[in-house]
Amino acid sequence: MKLSEILGQVELFDGLGRDELEQIAAICQEKSFRSGDVVTQQGDAGDELFVIWDGLVEVVHEVSPHDPAPRTVVNLGHGQVFGEMALVDYGPRSASIRVVSDAATVQAIHRDAFMRLCEDHNHLGFVVMRNIAADLSFKLRHQHLVGR
Amino acid sequence: MTAIYKVSYVVRGGSHPGAILNEEKRPELGQRVKLGAQEFEVVEVVDLMPARGDFSFLHVTLQPPKK
Repeated sequence: MKLSEILGQVELFDGLGRDELEQIAAICQEKSFRSGDVVTQQGDAGDELFVIWDGLVEVVHEVSPHDPAPRTVVNLGHGQVFGEMALVDYGPRSASIRVVSDAATVQAIHRDAFMRLCEDHNHLGFVVMRNIAADLSFKLRHQHLVGR
Repeated sequence: MTAIYKVSYVVRGGSHPGAILNEEKRPELGQRVKLGAQEFEVVEVVDLMPARGDFSFLHVTLQPPKK
């Protein structure tokens, strides 16, 4: 199956046409990690968004830089997105992402290429930004349900 | 295109942080689900928000399986 067809099964790109998915596929870079690898570190500058292709990662948040007991907020698996906050607000990474499965494969999308695509193709930009907002909303709803 | 279920798994009791995953099938009550190395039992399935496109959005409560 072509990368663009697989991207069509990711919520972030739901609502895009075949040509638009091809344009997204053209700016994706596949990256592989092993268990325990840290994909992003809280506090670092970030200019990539990641789509989990395979494997499971944990989202770890530290209250302070030397927090002795960092908290795992949630695990994310196939089809999920991380790194979107730093991509849209240009702030530092809000959490660390560590691989907890034996291995993980992600598709990385660089901010500059992504923003250029969104600005040049308004429908694509609107749909992906709406889907990012919906994904952040879903994560917030998940957190509301934890500890209910 | 087949439906995709985006699931918010919350674990009742214990320290597991839960997970968000895409599933090909809608989880059912009593079903066993593996999150990493740990296995849990589904005790609640709720539609979290209306479906959009090919995606359905679910909240699933899990608990450690009864022996």
